[in-house]
Amino acid sequence: MSERHSVDRRYYELLHQLQAIDFVLVELNLYLDTHPDDRNALEQHNHYVQERWKIAQEYESRYGPLTHFGHSYSRFPWQWDDSPWPWQV
Amino acid sequence: MFTQTKVYHPFVSPFDPCRPLVSKTYATPPHLYLGFQPPNLPQFTPVEAIKHGVLWPALYSPYEGRTDSYKERDRS
Repeated sequence: MSERHSVDRRYYELLHQLQAIDFVLVELNLYLDTHPDDRNALEQHNHYVQERWKIAQEYESRYGPLTHFGHSYSRFPWQWDDSPWPWQV
Repeated sequence: MFTQTKVYHPFVSPFDPCRPLVSKTYATPPHLYLGFQPPNLPQFTPVEAIKHGVLWPALYSPYEGRTDSYKERDRS
């Protein structure tokens, strides 16, 4: 809450892509649990892991950490308590 | 014609204090007909997938809400 964060269009674009890819990853994760030998699906899974990483990277460099407990970096001052919070966007 | 929505006709008591529903419907999700999911099924794009709530169109189950039976009953 240290400073007001602007939320532009890119914020929503990135969040939307992130949600979509996270969903695909959940689906592929569940699928691979029952089809561990499906090489295509596994490759697709790894492809989306990479995509997710890129998008998360851009999101975090622009708008701050996505997760806490040491899974994301933060700029000074501490960004985790910055709004907007997920239920506000 | 195949549809995921099935209909049944419950017994109607002649002493039913409420106006009865003559037919009721329920949804049968597509995985019931699929068996073990075959590999390499066609997929939605990620953005479509999150909208449909499933990655594979073959497993998508439309839900149009409660069917018209209540409306039908109240019309008649």
